Amino acid sequence: MRIYEQLFIVRPDAAQEEIEALLEQLGGVIAGAGGKLDKVEKWGLRKLAYPVEKRQEGYYVLLQYAAGADVVKEIERRFRVSDLVLKYLTVRIDERLKWLEKRKKQREKRAQRKPAAARPAAEGSPMPGEPVVKE
Amino acid sequence: MAEGKGGKPVSASQQPTGTDKAVVTRRQYFRRKKVCRFCVDKIDDINYKDVKLLSAFLTERGKIVPRRLSGVCAPHQRRLSNAIKQARNIALLPFTTR
Repeated sequence: MRIYEQLFIVRPDAAQEEIEALLEQLGGVIAGAGGKLDKVEKWGLRKLAYPVEKRQEGYYVLLQYAAGADVVKEIERRFRVSDLVLKYLTVRIDERLKWLEKRKKQREKRAQRKPAAARPAAEGSPMPGEPVVKE
Repeated sequence: MAEGKGGKPVSASQQPTGTDKAVVTRRQYFRRKKVCRFCVDKIDDINYKDVKLLSAFLTERGKIVPRRLSGVCAPHQRRLSNAIKQARNIALLPFTTR
C-alpha cells in the first residue's frame, strides 16, 4: 500500500453535482480495491498559469489516499476518459512523508542537544559582533 | 568570521564598506554572501503546492532562477526545481509567460 496525492483540475463550468458525482465515483474505486481515502480538499476555482483546453480557470481538487498502484492506474484512466477533468497530477508521497518525518526528528534532536552542550561554543561568535552593531 | 579576516594585513581594501557581511572577492568590488533560504529558514518540505514559495524562484518570464543568482544550495535547488516542474505540470506555475 502506498500513499498518493492526486491533484486534478475539473472544468470550470462543471456543476457542483457533477464534481460530487465524480468524487463519489473515485471514492468507490479506491474503497473497492481496499484502499483508504484520507483527504479530499477542494481548492475551488483558480486561475490557471497557462490556458488548458482554451480555458483560463479551473476547479482544483486534491485527494490523498493509500492504495496500490492498480488503483492509480484506474483513476488515471477515468480521468483521461472523463471530459470533466482537464489535467491531473499523481504524486507518490509515502517515501517523502517518511523522509520529512526523519528530518523533523533530526531537527528536534539537534535542538535539544544545543542548549545542553553547544550553546556556549555557538554563541561565542555572534556575541562579540552584535553589541557593536547596536551601540 | 569578520574578525578573523580583519586580522589579515590585506584588510585595507575591506575597510571602506565596514559591514561584516560583505565578503571580499579577488577583485575590487564587494559581494554580499548569499545563503540558501531553505537552509536558513529550515524549510524541509519544498512542495509543488506551495505556489507562493516557488514563484519566488521564478523569473518574470517563468524561468527557474539559477543557483548562482538565488544562492540556494545544491540539494535544495534540486528539490526546488523538481517541485517547480511538478507545479508547472498542473498549471499552478507557468512554463513561460510572454
